[in-house]
Amino acid sequence: MEKIKEYLKHIKISSIIIYTLLSWFIIAFLVYPNINLILKTFIKDGQVSLRAFEKLFSSKRAMMSLRNSFVLAFSMIITVNIVGTFIVLVTEYFEIKGAKILKIGFMSTLVYAGIVLVAGYQFLYSSNGFLAKVLSDLIPSYNVDWFVGYKAVLFIMTFACTSNHMIFLSNAIRNIDHGTIEAAKNMGASQFLILKKVVLPVLKPTFFSITVLTFLTGLSALSAPIVVGGKSFQTINPMILQFSKSPVSRDIGALMAIILGIATLLLLIIMNRVEKGGNYISISKVKTRIIKQKINSRLVNIIIHLVAYLLFIIYIAPMLLVIVFSFTNTIAINTVDLSFSNFSLSNYMLLFTRRGAFEPYLVSIVYSMSAAVIVAIICLVASNIIHKKEGKVGTILEFLLLIPWLLPATLIAMGLIMTYDLPKTILFNKNLVGSPLLMLSAYVIVTLPFSLRMLKAAYFGLDNALVDASKSMGASGFYTFRRVILPILLPTVLAVIVLSFNKLLPNYDLSVFLYHPAYKPLGIVIKTATEQESPGDSKAIMFVYSVILMIISTIAIYFFYGRNTKRK
Amino acid sequence: MIKFENVVIKYDEFVAINDFNLEIKEGEFFTLLGPSGCGKTTLLRSIVGFIDIFSGRIKVNDEDVTHLPTEKRNIGIVFQSYALFPTMNVFENIAFGLKVNKLSKEEVKKEVYEIARKVDLNETQLFRNVSELSGGQQQRVAIARALVLKPKILCLDEPLSNLDAKLRGQLRQELKKLQRDFGITTIYVTHDQEEALTLSDRIAVFNKGNLEQIGTPHEIYNKSQSEFVCDFIGDINKITGSAIDTINSLSEVKFDRNKTAFLRTERVLTVCDDKKYIKLKAEIIDFEYNGIFTRYYYQMNDNIIMNIEKNDGSDYSSIGEKIDLYINPADIKQF
Repeated sequence: MEKIKEYLKHIKISSIIIYTLLSWFIIAFLVYPNINLILKTFIKDGQVSLRAFEKLFSSKRAMMSLRNSFVLAFSMIITVNIVGTFIVLVTEYFEIKGAKILKIGFMSTLVYAGIVLVAGYQFLYSSNGFLAKVLSDLIPSYNVDWFVGYKAVLFIMTFACTSNHMIFLSNAIRNIDHGTIEAAKNMGASQFLILKKVVLPVLKPTFFSITVLTFLTGLSALSAPIVVGGKSFQTINPMILQFSKSPVSRDIGALMAIILGIATLLLLIIMNRVEKGGNYISISKVKTRIIKQKINSRLVNIIIHLVAYLLFIIYIAPMLLVIVFSFTNTIAINTVDLSFSNFSLSNYMLLFTRRGAFEPYLVSIVYSMSAAVIVAIICLVASNIIHKKEGKVGTILEFLLLIPWLLPATLIAMGLIMTYDLPKTILFNKNLVGSPLLMLSAYVIVTLPFSLRMLKAAYFGLDNALVDASKSMGASGFYTFRRVILPILLPTVLAVIVLSFNKLLPNYDLSVFLYHPAYKPLGIVIKTATEQESPGDSKAIMFVYSVILMIISTIAIYFFYGRNTKRK
Repeated sequence: MIKFENVVIKYDEFVAINDFNLEIKEGEFFTLLGPSGCGKTTLLRSIVGFIDIFSGRIKVNDEDVTHLPTEKRNIGIVFQSYALFPTMNVFENIAFGLKVNKLSKEEVKKEVYEIARKVDLNETQLFRNVSELSGGQQQRVAIARALVLKPKILCLDEPLSNLDAKLRGQLRQELKKLQRDFGITTIYVTHDQEEALTLSDRIAVFNKGNLEQIGTPHEIYNKSQSEFVCDFIGDINKITGSAIDTINSLSEVKFDRNKTAFLRTERVLTVCDDKKYIKLKAEIIDFEYNGIFTRYYYQMNDNIIMNIEKNDGSDYSSIGEKIDLYINPADIKQF
């Protein structure tokens, strides 16, 4: 009894509140909806039921979409790796004229991605798009309808998903010890042999990770197949979206989301396992910086230059067109006519004059900002606990908060929809579905893992002596946190908020499942504008949205990476 | 064997090496010595063929190699980082060049085993990953990888600079032994004067792209031809002003009081009956005890003079003590 009293004395009310809130959040949003999704799918009227499987197998469309997703994912492994490796080699490894400009083009997918990118590609390549109009006049045999189905989806995904190459592969190449290349050259190896035997083997683990990530991106594609997949090429996620709209078919959607989830989980586990084995890191303590290789063969050099610039055009054309057309009037957009008289700022004016035009911005900004700040707070509290309690509590807490990283967004969305469509005790008998808070909670959930990892890293980089020093001078835990820890972490916290905000702002994949009809976010409005029958001025405003989103993303990325490079 | 004729190396506008001439003999262990940024690595890389020279010629055995690509020069190199391929094991690393030259499997195996035996790498080590080897073993792999191609010349770019002091000493001996055994012409780059003195047959001292002096270690140390060489190699006393006046008043040789005079620390004695030496009055102001020896600091006029005393059981001196120092004016240098 005495012992218990003694123990209770040490527990502070504030920590009890924090632990309770955190546990409630984890159970209500990270654990329960996902478990409930599985239970609801497989248990009907208190009995295990495989009805969902039967329904899935008998639905031709659903089976087709499963097959399509795997076809797309496998195709992407090949195409994305080829294009991604090529653009990284020409910007980081070979000496190519104008590499800096090329790099800006290839890096554009960092700020020009998701639904905004898909809309841009559609405007350029589709049957009533810019390229079709221009080329069909020049070449009568040009097939204006090619940009639909598998080809179109793969085309978009190939150029949209090379960001991982530009970030991770570039980094890996920059870390190669130039001495190894010179040593091989000195021993008589040709350029091709050096690339094959010395450079590429070092990059193997990076390739492996990127390939897994690319595969997962392919499996969970949503906006590209929805916009350009047509009837012939729908994949898992668009199918889940359709099924989720009707209560009758919702369980098939849920089952497909579970299948997607299992595939994701398996691949991530394999990736983790493989990454742990094998040493490919340079053993050198004094590495020399890599110097770009001049291609010896004149012919090869010319071909590589040509291909590099062709890819550059493919990367920036949709983006440039969107920017150019954002400055034209609706006539120009509808007729794809770039006469000088058609240029104006009217679209940007529309943003403020047309009723409701500005609304999606407000909705997206409010949602994204609130989610980013909430996530930052949760992660600050959580990483503080993880840092302090290195034992089981910390490990379990970290694992729970990283759950959303293991699950596809669609699964998380389905879990929320199927769990909180009825009042539940854990949410104080409130209905989440139908409330504007539904999308907010999903935004919070999906940004958690990234923010947690960043903040945790910052916490562990913190010098413990500072905390000890503060305590030795008599400061309380909270005072130390406020005056010593927080100021040091603040730049990271801000960076995390900016990046999360930037990632959520144009979000489509999650929003499309969960948005409140009265508050349409940007992603949804942009998608609507890509539809054939959408009026001209909605396309015009879509361009304006896209341009402003690109600008915001550029600023956000610059803020983040610019800050990091300064530190070095 | 190797001849540099009026070699100029430029990086854009910056002249790294200006009008350089040198001849290195067959079988020689030749060291390029100098502080970082003096152009010694640049010169080495021009021999190997990684850097194009701006003008002049480089000849190997009277053959002009100036414009030959690196792989055609038959000059091996061991990098500062060793640059071992991390994705290959020891055997594959050594066999790399042989395979490039399209030797048969048996030949490759034979050559690799032979060189491995010579550099003391056993069979289990041959099939280890290079990251599992110690620094010394990695160095031997790097050397074996270069030597297996039977180069005419072996170039070493600061191969000991990233090791700790003890290993450095051990590998230095190993390196010298290997060079002697193979009898290969070796060009060695270092900024460590002790390494240069112990290893080399001849040394070239560089400063800011200019050659200061070429000579045997003995010549470089004892007959330094410039202020820079004197100061860069070994410990030295710098004597100025009134101290030079005092020396001039006692010595037959007279020194210029407006220039700095140099005197090696070990040439300052406290006990001496040689008539060539002159006696100077000084006071001990500080000392550093170093185990084997003690370094004393003496006040002489307005100069501070250092010397080294072997700790061989003789009496210690203490701070404040007045003492007589003996120096031979013939040891003093002025440039």
